[in-house]
Amino acid sequence: MENAIIAVAAAFSIGITAIATSIAQRAIGSAGVGALAEKPELVGSIIILVAIPETLVILGFAVAAIMLMG
Amino acid sequence: MIEKMARVEIIGLKKHLSRLIPLLHTSGYLQIDDIREMPDVMLQQFSPTAQMKEDREEVDLLIANINGLIESFSLNQKGQIETEPETKNEEDSVYSIKENVADITAQVQYINMRKKTLQDELISHSKYIEILKIISPFIPESSKDSGNATIRALVHSSQTRTMALLANQLKLLTHGKFEMITAKVGDETNAIIGIFPLELVSQVEGFMKNEKVGQLVLPEEYAYLSTEEALQHIEKKVELNHEELKKNDESMSRLAKKWLPSLKLWQLICKDKVDEIEVYLKIGETDFTFTIFGWVPSDDIQMLEIILKKEFSEEISLNVIGVPKELKSLIPVKLKNLEIVEPFEHFVKMRATPNYSDIDPSVLVAIFMPIFFGMMAGDVGYGIVMLLIAFLINKKVKEGLLSDIVKFLRLGAIWTIVFGILFGEYFGNLGEKLGIPPLWMSRSEPDSIFPLITMAIAVGVSHILLGLLIGSWNAFIHKNNNHLLERVGMFVGLVGLLFLVGSLTNYLPDAFRIIGWAVLAIGLIALAVSLGKSGVFLGPIEFVGLIGSILSYLRIAALGLASVFLAKVANDIGGMIPSVVAGLLISVLIHALNIVMGILSPTIQSLRLQYVEFFQRFYTGGQSPYEPFKKRVSKKLKI
Repeated sequence: MENAIIAVAAAFSIGITAIATSIAQRAIGSAGVGALAEKPELVGSIIILVAIPETLVILGFAVAAIMLMG
Repeated sequence: MIEKMARVEIIGLKKHLSRLIPLLHTSGYLQIDDIREMPDVMLQQFSPTAQMKEDREEVDLLIANINGLIESFSLNQKGQIETEPETKNEEDSVYSIKENVADITAQVQYINMRKKTLQDELISHSKYIEILKIISPFIPESSKDSGNATIRALVHSSQTRTMALLANQLKLLTHGKFEMITAKVGDETNAIIGIFPLELVSQVEGFMKNEKVGQLVLPEEYAYLSTEEALQHIEKKVELNHEELKKNDESMSRLAKKWLPSLKLWQLICKDKVDEIEVYLKIGETDFTFTIFGWVPSDDIQMLEIILKKEFSEEISLNVIGVPKELKSLIPVKLKNLEIVEPFEHFVKMRATPNYSDIDPSVLVAIFMPIFFGMMAGDVGYGIVMLLIAFLINKKVKEGLLSDIVKFLRLGAIWTIVFGILFGEYFGNLGEKLGIPPLWMSRSEPDSIFPLITMAIAVGVSHILLGLLIGSWNAFIHKNNNHLLERVGMFVGLVGLLFLVGSLTNYLPDAFRIIGWAVLAIGLIALAVSLGKSGVFLGPIEFVGLIGSILSYLRIAALGLASVFLAKVANDIGGMIPSVVAGLLISVLIHALNIVMGILSPTIQSLRLQYVEFFQRFYTGGQSPYEPFKKRVSKKLKI
């Protein structure tokens, strides 16, 4: 039972952070595409901006891994 | 690495300018500065002559014509012809280009006009055929008599009654010689056919006109033919028109095939000509002399001197001059790296061109990006497939961002194979099933999560420590004490944290615990001091941000795990299906999906680790790239 709860918690840890990342990336991505249409030279900055929220899901992964390993 | 640049001035008599500018343009060494933007120069801007303005207008018009022709040919070809500009011929002067363009334009205009006429005819003739085909079954035999004429009309069924009244009047007009047939040809349409003696044509037509009855008027050449004959002739004409249209398109294709490469070349030559005219505006002048300021890579100065001396002997002087402090930020940046590193220069430039006095990170990106890619993808089978994909794309694409990505993919694929061997992955766990053991660890085993995460963190720590070292060096070079203290503080703090974690996890002796605390404290204090008054709060926040950056490298482990488990799923599902063929097919499909994701995701993520985590520690960039005054279409100089 305990293992099941840990597995569910790990899944939530990844799932919720993934949803949060996708919400942030949706907004940044659409704005970024608009900006790229105007200024293609901004591609580097846009990649950075789109990639920044991914840290959320990576941290979620870290927490999940700690739970599963613990 | 960033190539050393020299600031030069070229001084001479104005009468030599007309020869000097094309020479500089052909040699392609000098980036010419705009005299209006030079804070240390007090010279009048060159005033273009009326002839120059006229030339400029003429070339602009020529470019517009060429663009129009290229567009017209490209539309016609629909991408069938892949052309590259031909090499420059000596006779490709603006004058000869203008003559050729006028000639091609005339031919294209004729073809287009003819096409338009034929298309219009086809539309109207198709309509006639449609109507005549509806009417023809109802045409009486009497219409075939040579002494009879026919009128045809399609009217709305609500008008049929009116038409009957009109027919009665026409009968009176023609003394009973008018015969009218009405036939229903649609739900709401009736065909009206009137037959009467030929000599009464003008009277009948005049009457119809007066009564405003719209009859079907065929073109003159078919007007006096019977309906069947007219139908035959129009159908024949439509067939001929189709043939002519086809021939017309073929002529256009031949013309495009013949001239498109030349037009693209002429377009570049004309743009070169515009550049040559525009560059005069960047030059300074006195009554009799001119001065050009610009930048040349230090290694190329000697070559430029030789070229100028050969053409002008001592009449033009090239001097290397000092770079004032206010121009330091305007020094153009030229990167010069090994061929293997060149694709990564573009990745760096996508972020920002490096500053002249900074370290060029292209080499570091060239080292780390493919390694990170390989760590994430890590599969021998996938690596081989990626190599094949890179090889195939490379055969088609030789230049541009895609070509750079392919070159990166080639290196990434090699590292994918290397890490695949270390992880024992051959299309997922297929190697394991065949008894090939991993040299290091199997990522699909539950026990390997900890070493995998440790590896990712270790890579992150090393990468960020390297970034901080470079950042400290940059700050030292720029004599920016605050930045130096900040980066050294972070570096020291991170080292202290490593000591602490090492001793807490029993990898280091207990003594390192105190050393770790002390070093961490020193680092944090240095960081706080560098941030000024608010450093007490911002220092620890910055340090936590640094830890966050290191944790960000966990994506190497996360993506790797996702890839290996998807590969495992592909093999397991394939194995579960009784039919070998179906199982193999499903397995291949899932592996293909995994390979595509394995190319896209690790590329973006490894680029992100460079841009966000690594560059943040040392890289600002933003200086202008070196853009020499160089011809788009090169012509080799004889030196």
